[in-house]
Amino acid sequence: MDDDEKKDMCPICKTDRYLSPDMKFLVNPECYHKICESCVDRIFSLGPAQCPYKGCDKILRKNKFKTQVFDDVGVEKEVDIRKRVFNVFNKTLDDFDGDTDAYNKYLEDVEDIVYNLDHGIDVAKTEEKLRTYEDINKQLIMANMERSKQDLENFEQRQKFEKEMKLKKRILEKQIQEEDMANKEWAKREIVNQLSTSGDADEVIANVKKTVKLKKSSARRKLEELNKVLKNNPFMTVSNGLMKKKETVPFTPFNGDRDIHKRYTLTDSGYFDPFIKELEAKKEYIASGFRADYVYDRMLTEAFMGLGCVITEELQTPQLNSVN
Amino acid sequence: MMQTEYSKEKKVGEGTYAVVYVGTKYSTNRKVAIKEIKTSGFKDGLDMSAIREVKYLQEMNHVNVIELIDVFMAQNNLNLVLEFLPADLEMIIKDSSILFTNADIKSWLLMTLRGVHHCHRNFILHRDLKPNNLLLAPDGQLKLADFGLARNMGSPQEILTSNVVTRWYRAPELLFGAKHYTGAIDMWSVGVIFAELMLRIPYLPGKDDIDQIDVTFRALGTPTDRDWPEISTFSTYNKIQFYPPPSRDELRRRFAAATENALDLMCGMLTMNPHKRWDPTKCLTSEFFVELPEPTVPEELPKLNNK
Repeated sequence: MDDDEKKDMCPICKTDRYLSPDMKFLVNPECYHKICESCVDRIFSLGPAQCPYKGCDKILRKNKFKTQVFDDVGVEKEVDIRKRVFNVFNKTLDDFDGDTDAYNKYLEDVEDIVYNLDHGIDVAKTEEKLRTYEDINKQLIMANMERSKQDLENFEQRQKFEKEMKLKKRILEKQIQEEDMANKEWAKREIVNQLSTSGDADEVIANVKKTVKLKKSSARRKLEELNKVLKNNPFMTVSNGLMKKKETVPFTPFNGDRDIHKRYTLTDSGYFDPFIKELEAKKEYIASGFRADYVYDRMLTEAFMGLGCVITEELQTPQLNSVN
Repeated sequence: MMQTEYSKEKKVGEGTYAVVYVGTKYSTNRKVAIKEIKTSGFKDGLDMSAIREVKYLQEMNHVNVIELIDVFMAQNNLNLVLEFLPADLEMIIKDSSILFTNADIKSWLLMTLRGVHHCHRNFILHRDLKPNNLLLAPDGQLKLADFGLARNMGSPQEILTSNVVTRWYRAPELLFGAKHYTGAIDMWSVGVIFAELMLRIPYLPGKDDIDQIDVTFRALGTPTDRDWPEISTFSTYNKIQFYPPPSRDELRRRFAAATENALDLMCGMLTMNPHKRWDPTKCLTSEFFVELPEPTVPEELPKLNNK
């Protein structure tokens, strides 16, 4: 409980979040002590001053204060250090011409710097290293910054594009749905109307259905076009290249194990089997999902299964699944 | 003697009718799982599921179906020697420290469907597909296991029991007590597993058999005589609550990471009418498996972090 209370109370002015819910806490990367916004205003408005925490002799400036993102101060501190270091050490694998060993070594060095700064080991020396690197590689750092900015922009553009397309697609789909409904309504009414004057019901229905089909809308055409665009999405191709792995075996859905050439072909018209026909008409069979074609398929497979198998040959190949 | 061919090293699990040990096959030094069936406890002879397991597994030889290596008797007990598979899909789904991507889901689903396709083309119904029965080999291959409820597609007038498949993965026709169902019931289970892989929680967790009907139709809409002819002949049908089917947008919201092709495939497998439900061939040839990302190669799939 005590900790919880402390969390929501400024240790300097003792303002409580319960009483002033708008209160915000700020920290300064010098010492990461938590101070509320109004205290920061009060103490540091007139220029740099000492941290109001007892025993902390760091001199703080108002413009360095920021809101704390992470609950854990340790994490906050490390993230800040990382941000600073990575702004300088911003090489990517491309800068090493794809030499992963060199790149890994470079990453390791960067991690060492971060670790040292975070844990206060050789701070002066490490800071020096950081500075010299920055001076020497100014050109490269700027170039890399520019590049990462470009990447980010590309990414944002792509996302925006995809979002727009998706939205468009949804709208078209909705339109189609509504049109279909309207068409159905119209057809219904039209049939009734025409039936009141003409006699041949079948003909009227067929006619109306034909006109409905012709009416199939521009929205549908637009959707098809949109799908085409999405398929050759200019932004997607970039990421496709990355997602694609070097393939050894081309993908096949059945792993190359599918008998397309069966020893028989099942006719669509069905077979004359009064026994099956009778079952097929039974309500409980229909409701269960019973399928006569499955039955015929099984019977035919079983009938032709052994053909072309020579048992003596089969016996010669060592069997994997021998069951005694 | 057969017993000297295998060693039983450690007990790894116990079910109602069997104890499972890890062991080694001496001649090849291969690790195996030995399932010892407790025959002595059954007065009426051997347990049905043991017979089923032997009967169907020895017929099949496929990368995505567990391999039955041997069967032997010892001390009056029947022993099945099976391929040793240390993990199952349920463990992976439940382990929140494991992250998996859409490509991984695609790969697992692909292997499941290949296994089911193999069973069905040999006219065998698995009848108990669930993440717990999809085992994972050390090289990442997924294998259908536990054929204790399997049976072959018998002659058409035979009556099949509708009391099969673990409740959450039970197809609607089984919930209604259908007695002449087809392989479509396995496809429904695969559909629910697919949904579970995307959500990482069970998709249709009914508390009991009655609740399962309610949960299923609340999620996917109550079927009508129009989209499922003669459904009203099921005696329980007229007592159930009517729910509208979910719109495409609702599904998109529920499965936020799924692509349109993924939703198509899932809806295909979760079609109420068993007649219209997609079969393994249709599922495997679906666009979903061709679109990017490509399915992860089995060796690179996420594994349990042991120790």
